[in-house]
Amino acid sequence: MRFARRYLAQRLVASVITLLGVSVIVFLMVRVLPGDPARVIAGLLATEEDVQRIRVELGLERPLLVQYGIFLGRFVRGDLGISARTSEPVLSELRPRLASTLQLALASAGIAALLGIAAGTLAATRPYSRFDYLLSLSTLFGVSMPVYWLGLMLIIVFAVQLNWLPAAGAETPASIVLPSLTLAAFSVALIARMTRASMLEALGQDYVRTARAKGLAETAVVVRHALKNALIPIVTVVGLQFGALLGGAVLTESVFGWPGMGLLLVDSIFSRDYAMVQGIVLVFSSLFILTNLVVDLLYAVIDPRIHYS
Amino acid sequence: MRTLVAAVAALAVLSTGVGLASAATTFRAAVGVDPDTLDPVQMTTTTVANMVDYVVETLTFIDQDGKIRPGLAESWSISADGKEYTLKLRKGVTFQDGTAFEAKAVKWNLDRLIDPNVRVPVRAPYPIEKTDVVDPSTVKVTLKRPSAPFVGALSWTTSGIVSPASADKDGNEYKNIVHPVGTGPYVFKERRKGESITVTKYDKYWGKKPFYDTVVFRIVPEAATRESLLLAGQVDLIVLPPVADLPALSRNPAVKVLLAPSDRTIFIALNTQKAPFNDARVRQALNYAVDKQAIMTNVLFGAAETMDAPMAPTLFGYCKQGAYEFNPAKAKQLLAEAGVRAGTKVSFIHPTGRYIQDREVAQAVAGFIREVGLDPQLQTMDWPSYIRTITTPLDKDNKTELHLLGWAPAFLDSSQQMLQFLSTYHPPAGLATNFYKDPKVDEQYLAADSESNADKRKEIYCQMSKKVWSDAPWIFLYVQRYPIVHSAKIRDVGSIPNEKFYAVYARPQ
Repeated sequence: MRFARRYLAQRLVASVITLLGVSVIVFLMVRVLPGDPARVIAGLLATEEDVQRIRVELGLERPLLVQYGIFLGRFVRGDLGISARTSEPVLSELRPRLASTLQLALASAGIAALLGIAAGTLAATRPYSRFDYLLSLSTLFGVSMPVYWLGLMLIIVFAVQLNWLPAAGAETPASIVLPSLTLAAFSVALIARMTRASMLEALGQDYVRTARAKGLAETAVVVRHALKNALIPIVTVVGLQFGALLGGAVLTESVFGWPGMGLLLVDSIFSRDYAMVQGIVLVFSSLFILTNLVVDLLYAVIDPRIHYS
Repeated sequence: MRTLVAAVAALAVLSTGVGLASAATTFRAAVGVDPDTLDPVQMTTTTVANMVDYVVETLTFIDQDGKIRPGLAESWSISADGKEYTLKLRKGVTFQDGTAFEAKAVKWNLDRLIDPNVRVPVRAPYPIEKTDVVDPSTVKVTLKRPSAPFVGALSWTTSGIVSPASADKDGNEYKNIVHPVGTGPYVFKERRKGESITVTKYDKYWGKKPFYDTVVFRIVPEAATRESLLLAGQVDLIVLPPVADLPALSRNPAVKVLLAPSDRTIFIALNTQKAPFNDARVRQALNYAVDKQAIMTNVLFGAAETMDAPMAPTLFGYCKQGAYEFNPAKAKQLLAEAGVRAGTKVSFIHPTGRYIQDREVAQAVAGFIREVGLDPQLQTMDWPSYIRTITTPLDKDNKTELHLLGWAPAFLDSSQQMLQFLSTYHPPAGLATNFYKDPKVDEQYLAADSESNADKRKEIYCQMSKKVWSDAPWIFLYVQRYPIVHSAKIRDVGSIPNEKFYAVYARPQ
């Protein structure tokens, strides 16, 4: 894929510019919020003297431009600074949390993609059947149920009543089941509906009639021909959902005590831990940019007619 | 084939976490706060200090009744001028890294406590000038000024004693300890951020040995999830379940509810420098307007007691004043006398999710205030914004009128509570957000702080309480209880009245 190299280079440059823009925005936004990080960290019982010391320690007294300069200087060297709350490097705090969030997002996206594409495809092959209506109902449920409620319901049934699964945490391999199911609910619904629509369109095309006329088995027609052509919009949705899952895992992480980045982000905002908020937002942005790039490259794999100029 | 089946079965068993019966015992607790730090001097949150206490000990202890007891210091004597404390240290104690616990180590810790280069948020209760080693088991601490509560302050985790030799190992730095090594009954083993902290029994502990080999503290921010973990039998103890579930939990034979006494008072602070709240009659009226009992029953489900003094009963120097009974008629009368017209808008801000049922309590109080003719404008905001708003100095245009706040001293001494009525503690210097100013009270505060005779000190706090109570810079609401719920299969779970659970000596029934 010779074309890919130049395309990739262009995308890389665009990504760097995007990240720079994000860094400026998040840097300013977090400092515009009312509240004094030093006082929040020190707590109510600290005297102003000790709060002031912390303020100086965190470099909050310096002019904004200087603070941004320091931040940028560190960032280009791969150093995301020190967390104001824990006094430890942001990167070392982030790494395990990022791994946890990725685990959860990948598991949820995987479940959502598999279930969603399968269900959507099945529904498209029997439109307006009982299965199709059942799917419509379920997807309505999936997009409407608040993650918070669904999570707690699953905990009550599978952990408290049946004691089959852990109620919270990430200790055992079984711990990922309930959180990923909860998180996947919305995405499954979305992907299923998109797949159904896209497949219905694909199945109405001429080449499908040709394939059937040639005597191909129905499964081969559906999967090898129709699905392959219907994949572009589906892959787009899956990619977007993955990005959303990364950021939207906060509620699920909170309900299940899953030690992910979303929860860390919320805690950091409430503690006004500027360095941590900046670090997390930049990591999320990078992941999102990466996901979009992968999806775009996948298009070329799915449909050889697509090439990049 | 048979080995394959056996292997699959073994895998299945392992993956569901069902282990074969093992000799090692584990106690599992679930708390809602992920520690910002495990460094004793940097403690700001009681729940975090609670966990650090398993590993690091202090020179004095608070027992379950709130009384000060010898800790790592067996005895102490105070000089006549109240500035020199001679502490005799316990002998035969070893740090968990094998180094000896002795005067040099105590000096190192206390020097670190006053070192301005180390972050110590709760440094104020320790006005230490210097620490001297008298002999390997005696230290002399000289204070900058007499401080009667000092021995109590030494029971708070900030002054916990860690091994100086550990300060540059295992990721530790002098300025920041991430792997605490102390003298306590458990050794710090592992921390998974956002997940859990694991400690294991210390074989050479100097005191009574605990039962459980391992204790795991799980970090679970969501109260409902903590409750689910307990009901599913996946943890043995939780703190702060959803308050509305307390009645049901009390009726559940599988668990035991402990409404532990606490030192946390919740109140509505009034801006005493802003009309009409600069008139004591208005402030008293508001106290008569609120039915505290109704709030305790219906909003807090019994997890609190009405305040009958400016401080919680668990504090040294507590002096009961009586109650402002629920009397809306009297409230209206007082308001009329003070010339407050019906329909007057008052600003009423509150945090959300900071204290148990804070939003619901604020709404209830607003309802009562509305009944006596005022028009409260409720507003909430996130915690940092809230602190910023209530600590705006008066001369920087502080617009607050009513705000809900809680105050929980780190150690059980009225000096820590009465700070709220000290004029030198007004923002920005401190958190006396009611801006109360009474020169006599200020004088009495300083007198109490340097009074070495306990009875005389109590008497001073009594006089201060009387004045503050009648001046009513707060709507005095309630003393919160600290709900701890544990499995009925476990016994000997207690609490310390500064919002700590005490389960070191828990054991199966």
